[in-house]
Parts: sequence; structure tokens; C-alpha cells
Amino acid sequence: MNAGMLPAVEKRDVVVIGGGPAGMTAALGAKRAGAADVLLVERDRNLGGILNQCVHDGFGLFLYKKSISGPEFAERLAEDVEREGIAVQTGAMVLDLGPDRLLRLNAPDGYRLIRAGAVVLAMGCRERTRDMIEIPGMRPAGVLTAGSAQALVNLQNIRIGREAVILGSGDIGLIMARRLTFEGIKVKGVFEIMPWPGGLERNIRQCLKDFGIPLELSRTVVEIRGRERLSAVVTARVDERLMPVAGTEEIVPCDTLLLSVGLIPENELAKRAGIALSPLTGGAVVDETFMTGVEGIFSCGNVLHIHDIADWAAAEGLAAGRRAAEYVLGLRSLAETVRVSAAGYLRYALPQAVHRGARDVTVHFRVARPVRGLKVEARGVETGRRCGGRRLARAIPSEMQTILLKGPIEEDIEVGGHD
Amino acid sequence: MIDKMTCIQCPAGCELEVGEADGRLEIRGNECEKGVEFAQNEIRDPRRNLATSVPVKGNATRMVSVRLSGPVPRDRIFPILDAISGLRPEPPVRRGQVLISDVLGSGVDVIATRTINE
Repeated sequence: MNAGMLPAVEKRDVVVIGGGPAGMTAALGAKRAGAADVLLVERDRNLGGILNQCVHDGFGLFLYKKSISGPEFAERLAEDVEREGIAVQTGAMVLDLGPDRLLRLNAPDGYRLIRAGAVVLAMGCRERTRDMIEIPGMRPAGVLTAGSAQALVNLQNIRIGREAVILGSGDIGLIMARRLTFEGIKVKGVFEIMPWPGGLERNIRQCLKDFGIPLELSRTVVEIRGRERLSAVVTARVDERLMPVAGTEEIVPCDTLLLSVGLIPENELAKRAGIALSPLTGGAVVDETFMTGVEGIFSCGNVLHIHDIADWAAAEGLAAGRRAAEYVLGLRSLAETVRVSAAGYLRYALPQAVHRGARDVTVHFRVARPVRGLKVEARGVETGRRCGGRRLARAIPSEMQTILLKGPIEEDIEVGGHD
Repeated sequence: MIDKMTCIQCPAGCELEVGEADGRLEIRGNECEKGVEFAQNEIRDPRRNLATSVPVKGNATRMVSVRLSGPVPRDRIFPILDAISGLRPEPPVRRGQVLISDVLGSGVDVIATRTINE
């Protein structure tokens, strides 16, 4: 391109990428912490992100102390954003982000270049697809992710089928089992490859048990049948290595298969900026201020790690936004960081780094499998000094937990989970 | 023990055990008082909120999400869904606007949960 055609570089204190719950609160957090010029960028026409298609209630319990629906939660946050005078650019897609915090934007009024004092990544996540879990068989219509089904039913008034099977017991799949039942669609069963459910217990109760929808654990879909339209799936029991057991196949006639088999942080932009990602969370490696390995770029919400509920993604956004503003204002800790790692029953711990001398750091973690009587302890790797501990009557992979590191943190920390 | 149940009042999802002693319900496993109330209701009169979405008048694909202003007995869910299904609110619709008041005499209203302008 002719250099003369490039637009002038705009300057912003904080740019937040993604207008879902974490992005909106990140913008709020940054503004309230003193960033004068905050820009919130969203590629859809409206703010809210996936909240807009989550018409069920149960949102807002943490932030607003009452149970509201996703669209209500989204609108309230969007009103807060407007009230605080935060600049919002919808219909705009960030095409590229450099480690120098230069954003290239495809906006409705054309190509824009923005240099940000700090960037907050809040792009959310994507659902795992059929391709990613490699189910063999035909490729008929009627196979879709639970979230796409949710968008079609709740936002576009499309009748997606008559008889459905749900593969995977993630929360979106459970919510959709109830939603489809409300729409008069027969849900024949939820099949989960693991020996434990992927979603929250409260959703098993109110979305499946309430309506007599069977949940079959250690069972998966091994074949998809149908030419134009799905006609049946074949399910089979799996062994401890998650391999299908011959002779346990069952044919389940259906015209719709929803996949609720996991979420993956949407980190294409983070990769372009050269941000190191964690293989365990799929999100950026961050310190306790939510700053990634690239200076001045922060990450929060489902793009950082998958949260059980939107309220917690929103709470994280608020904190990350505040830290981004502090960075721009020069209020950042200059101490070096030590590492935080997970051990025992814990699959991961986040943040993965903490500034030396930090106190009262909340570490989020998940267990790799269900465990009763879990003892979680944080200790210095070299001295064995204990800086935090918690006992949990039970912990399951679908529930995110926290532990407080009291500090001051002076060395690498291991957060261990034991019986 | 009468029943084992997961409290659905918040994401903590406490595992409750409901027993009976001297004709009174005894609840164990709850981390907060909401669990006691939930378990009592769940045994005697289980209640749920419900949410769906309906198209606005004159546009089959423009949707307004709706829910009830409070929970109703679980066995009223489907009759209330039927009552909601014919709803075609005319824009503008305000968030919180009552679309059907005291639906089927349940004591709760059907309210819009998003704003549709124009």
C-alpha cells in the first residue's frame, strides 16, 4: 500500500478488545481507575457478546446481587459503560495487534490505526467443533455446537429440529437441553465421555433432572448417520482410556446433534502480538495484574481461561481494566516476578507469575478430576514456607476455585492439591 | 434420609442432604441459609423461573427475551410457556416491561429482558 494512504495513528490510553462481560467491565475498571481515554472495540453490532443469546436467568448474582438473564446483565453493563463516558466502537474488528500495542482495525468508517498505552484482551472463547473431536461418519445437516443452536433458537427464531441428542455435558449443552425441551423438541439424552459431568451440578438438576432427560456418563458418540439430514447417532460406552468398548454400541435415532464438548480461548490476536500462551488454560500466561508476557497487554475473561459463570469473567475484567489503567499511569510494580505452579490434583493455577513482595494474591485453580476432602496448600518451592491454605469438602473440574496467597511472596510458589 | 439434592440458588451448588427428625426437615451440607429455604421448597413445593424468547410483532426473526418476575411451581412451567408462546410484543419494548401480568393466575409477571427500540 502507498504509505500516503495510511490513516493517521490515533492515540488512546486503554483499548479493550471485546465487548462481552469481561470487556465491558475492563473498560469500566480502566476508566474508574483514572484512564482518561478508554476505547471499547466490539466486532458485533451491539455490546454484550454471548450474553445476548443467554436468555436464561442466573446471571448477576455476584455483581448485582440478583438473578437476571444474560441480555439484562449485558444491558446493565452497557448502560454503565455509557454513563461513564467510555468510547465504544461496534462493528469493528481488530485485524492485528503488535507487541508495540499498535492495533489495526477494520471499522465501519474504514481502516484505522490506534496506538494504545495499554491493551486489554477480552475476546472470549470458541466452542470445540465436531472436526476437533473427530467423530467419524457422514456429514449431514443437523450437527451443530450448543452455542450456535442457542443463537439460532434465541436470537433468530429458528426451529432447529425435532429430536435431539447432546454430546458433552458442558453448561451450554445442559442449558440447551432445557431450552429445546421448552421449544417442544425431544431431547433423548446427554452423553458424556468422562465419568463425571462437565457442567455445574445446579445445571444437571434444573436442566436435566427436572425434565427427566437422561445423562449417560462414560459414553460417547462414535458415528454420525444420515445423508442430507442427520438420521441417527451411534453411541458407545468407553473404557478408562476413553476408548469405545466394542459391543456396547446403541443406535439413537435423531435429527439434531448438539456438541457441548468444551471451550477454547480465542487467542489469534494474542499470538500475533507474540504473547506466550499456557497449554493448560489455552489463554495467556499472566502475572497477578493480568499483564501478559508482552508489556502493557493484559488479558481477562474467557480469553484468559474458561470461567464457569459470566459474573466471574466480569469481576476479572474489572480487575484487569484497573491494572491496565495503573500501568498507563505509571503505577506498576517494577519488582521481578516469581513463578506460580500447580501440583497434585490441580490442573492449573492462575496467575502463573507474581511480583516479588506481592501480598493478598487470589489464585484461581481447577482440579483435574473430582476429589473429596481436598487440601490445597501454597508453599515456597525453596523454603517450603506456607503462604496460603484451604480445605474443600469436594472439588469438581467444572467448578473454578480460589486460594489466597497472603505473602509477601518472595520465591517461586507451588499450589498443591492433596487428599 | 429423604433426598439428596444440589442447591441451585447460586453457582456454589452445595450438595444438600435432607433428612427428617421429629417431623421436621433437617438439612445438611449447606454453606448458607439459602440452602435451607431451597431444600424446604424443593421437598414441598419445587419452584423454578423460566426464560424464553418471542418474536416482536411484524418481524418473525426479531426476538425479545422474556422471563418471569419470580419462580413458579415447577408443574406450571409448560402451561405458562404455552401462554407466552403466542406473545408478539410491539416495539419499542423496554427491559423490565410487563408483557403478561399475573400469568395464568400464578402471581408472577412475564417481563421483557431486553430493550428493542423503534
